[in-house]
Amino acid sequence: MDIAFQGEHLLPGDIGKVFVILSFGAALLSALSYYFATTNTNKLDNSWLKMGRIAFWANSISILGVGVMLFYVIYNHYFEYHYAWAYTSRSLPVYYIVSGFWNGQEGGFLLWTFWQAVLGNVLIWRAKSWEKPVMTIISFSQVFLASMLLGIEVFGARIGSSPFLLLRNAVEGPIFSRPDYLSFIKDGQGMNPLLQNYWMVIHPPTLFLGLASVVVPFAYAIAGLWQKRYKEWVAPAISYGLFSAMILGTGVIMGSLWAYESLNFGGFWAWDPVENASIFPWLTLVGGLHVLIVYKNSGHSYFTATFLVLISFIMVLYSSFLARSGVLGETSVHAFTDLGMFWHLVIFILVFLALSVYFLVVRWKEMPISKKDEDTYSREFWMFVGAIFLGLSCFHLILVTSIPVWNSMFGTKIAPPTDLVGHYNVIQASFAMVIVILTGFTQFLKYKKTDVTRFFITTGLYLVFAAAITALVVYVTGLYKLHFVFVLVMFGSIYSVLANGKVLTDSLKGKFKLAGSAVAHIGFALMLIGSLIAAGTRKVVSNNESGNINIKGFDRGSTDAKVGGDIHENIMMYRNEPVKMGPYTVTYIGDSVSVPNYYYKMDYKRYDANGKIAEEFILKPNAQINPQMGLVSSPDTKHYLFHDLYTHITAIPEIKDKPAGSGDEAAHGEENDDKNYEEPIPHEVAVGDTIPYRDGYIVLKSLNKEAKVQNIPLTGDDIAISAKLEVVSHTKTYQADPVYMIKNKTVLDFARKVEDAGLKLRLSKIIPDKNKVEIIVYQQPQNKRPWIVMRALDFPYINFLWSGTIIMIIGFLLSIRRRNKELKTV
Amino acid sequence: MKKSAIFGLIVIAIAIATIITTYSSSSTYGSFGDAKKTTEELHIVGHLDKGKELYYDAAKDANYFSFFVKDNKGEECKVIYTGTKPQDFEKSEQIVLTGRMTGNEFHASTILMKCPSKYTQDKIEVTEFKAKAASI
Repeated sequence: MDIAFQGEHLLPGDIGKVFVILSFGAALLSALSYYFATTNTNKLDNSWLKMGRIAFWANSISILGVGVMLFYVIYNHYFEYHYAWAYTSRSLPVYYIVSGFWNGQEGGFLLWTFWQAVLGNVLIWRAKSWEKPVMTIISFSQVFLASMLLGIEVFGARIGSSPFLLLRNAVEGPIFSRPDYLSFIKDGQGMNPLLQNYWMVIHPPTLFLGLASVVVPFAYAIAGLWQKRYKEWVAPAISYGLFSAMILGTGVIMGSLWAYESLNFGGFWAWDPVENASIFPWLTLVGGLHVLIVYKNSGHSYFTATFLVLISFIMVLYSSFLARSGVLGETSVHAFTDLGMFWHLVIFILVFLALSVYFLVVRWKEMPISKKDEDTYSREFWMFVGAIFLGLSCFHLILVTSIPVWNSMFGTKIAPPTDLVGHYNVIQASFAMVIVILTGFTQFLKYKKTDVTRFFITTGLYLVFAAAITALVVYVTGLYKLHFVFVLVMFGSIYSVLANGKVLTDSLKGKFKLAGSAVAHIGFALMLIGSLIAAGTRKVVSNNESGNINIKGFDRGSTDAKVGGDIHENIMMYRNEPVKMGPYTVTYIGDSVSVPNYYYKMDYKRYDANGKIAEEFILKPNAQINPQMGLVSSPDTKHYLFHDLYTHITAIPEIKDKPAGSGDEAAHGEENDDKNYEEPIPHEVAVGDTIPYRDGYIVLKSLNKEAKVQNIPLTGDDIAISAKLEVVSHTKTYQADPVYMIKNKTVLDFARKVEDAGLKLRLSKIIPDKNKVEIIVYQQPQNKRPWIVMRALDFPYINFLWSGTIIMIIGFLLSIRRRNKELKTV
Repeated sequence: MKKSAIFGLIVIAIAIATIITTYSSSSTYGSFGDAKKTTEELHIVGHLDKGKELYYDAAKDANYFSFFVKDNKGEECKVIYTGTKPQDFEKSEQIVLTGRMTGNEFHASTILMKCPSKYTQDKIEVTEFKAKAASI
């Protein structure tokens, strides 16, 4: 293979590859140096520490170098690189080129290792006495991440996957034996249209920062065990852990906002394995944070705190394994395929798992495990219980999500539950109920010992109050129609909002440091309230009985929830034919094209009691026919304060090159064209008469005896008459003027089409003795007319979910501020 | 007994209960033959019989789509799905259906289809390359 390929730009790739190898080597050197710096007994010898730092900086700079080179390749459209070819194209706007950057798995790893490098630098700057052991762990993790990008062959096995792989090495094809192959590759494959959304520009970096930052509390926990500084690691770990939980939570919710805005499964959470995997570490980390605070305040639960912090990072690795190893196969729609890194990812998990187990076992006897039992009426006991329930909720998620993993491990053939969403909803709601109730009443308890009578009075009072509000909410929203466990979650969440609201008002009076947890808990409870009502009482707007034909042996409209959630949710819409659905009258009024997207204009009207238009707006859900993915449709949503109206396209006729409706008005006697219409119906009419037809009526307004037809000059005896017709189709009015002509003693006529109404009209005869004319009406059969199938859903109170998220983030920020202050004073 | 021990037992009990619930609600991969013997919902892996009619007429009913699937044991059955026809359904290589038998028809509540292009992006593009090379 000594072909001199023409036009390739190999330099940026070569530089990039050098940077990848450099980042790997530097991370390895940094990890070793920090290890020796930690174990070095000579306190005055700083040489290992210096070397560790320099190597880590070299690693950080190399990662930046890799990023710059990859961006250079993508930005300049060097499609000789597989990454640029597979994920971007020339037509992609610049801001999506940025998101093309993390479109592939390699980009994901790059982002992860980048954030880890940033965090490492922060730690070098701030960690002081913790720097050596903590940075040993961080650098060690950098080694693994860098190895994922290597893409080099060692003993016949490829290690990692390089983002600078050349297209001709990645894809096989006879074309690659031509030296000038690049001149045939004009453009890349472009980006998955679903990812062309502004959320996709910020969601991945946020999520990866969240995932990457879980390593910091993990490193502190290991360092605490390693250096036998069992108590000291807790305070900084709480600060970093709060940051991590906040960013990770934000990243996950951003993902669900993206799903809600641009995907068409009709919701914000689908319990897809990849989604679930992203919240494993969040659940264990939030649990871990609570137990860390318990330990800090009471000296109890040391082991549980350490365990939850350690397992959180293992969960990060496990979720990356689930998403990238291809193990999920047919159970997930957005898992990546295996890039040959299955075992590489497994080793990554096992090494860090072994490290955690090793330190827990070796230090088991020395760990400050309290022998005394916690008091039943103490805050620490119930915080501990809550954390365990977070862990149980995570346990259930892992159990179900990992079914394909169990199958491949044990050779079984278990399929996920058939009603997967229902299964997750009910079981996770049960855990959520316990957790929110705990976030409520635990706030009334004090550390160590509480006045029991007073506690019961306050708790009881708030419980009764919450029950009353719940009854009202459940009645108004119709939540009572669902499984009772959802009502209980609603109760718990409302209780939590009230109880934490009380704590918040108290804290405003003085004990401001308690505000953070109260605000975060209120946010969490509001998120649950919002998602419960929105998902639970989601209404299908697009159901309409008219126009549906019963098909024999088919139990349409079955209320059995187990049989097809989609029953009756889709509705057929003909252009300009208003359909009543729910409170709206909806009309499909046309499309517009902005290649590659087709926008369908849906006109929504709502009438008040007097029949006047109370509200009118247009939604433009779009669809694109992607060569790789078929119909990709994105919804459009009308946002109200208390509900959202969500509309998307579920089926469209085959898209022709020309958008429907731009048909040329002047028809030139196309015989074939008549086949597109039903049997023509002739009508003899006089001026002022009305011709009824299926969708409305046609009025002959007047006859124009001096009609002109373009390019046809009239001479002597020639006659040209046009009929001025007014077509009323539903609520719309159109004009048409078919022409009758006698030219050189031959009779001709020029039909006129009204595309939007699906009509063709001819003025075919003049009957002077009756003073009438003959108009022939051609109607398009129903299925030849422009149509779409759409689905419209109403999500009530979904804004509680989004506002709850923001409130929770504020709560986290307050807590971080508080813990950082404590750090300085200690 | 210490309170933490009691709590530990409760946690273990809940964990076991979770495993049992999950296991009992989990489904199986089967064939149409299995589906005829049970009233439970199950998963069937098969492929579309491209020789038989795919019926979807949005004008008559936008929520009715029927087709024929051959399962992995070679048995064929008519499948009815209460929704719109997924685009490019004809191109699917493999179909995973969830649902149950009603009479002689299988009523699917979900369809998961695997298209050749969706997962192995590179493969389909190779054919395009050939087309481009041939046009010179």
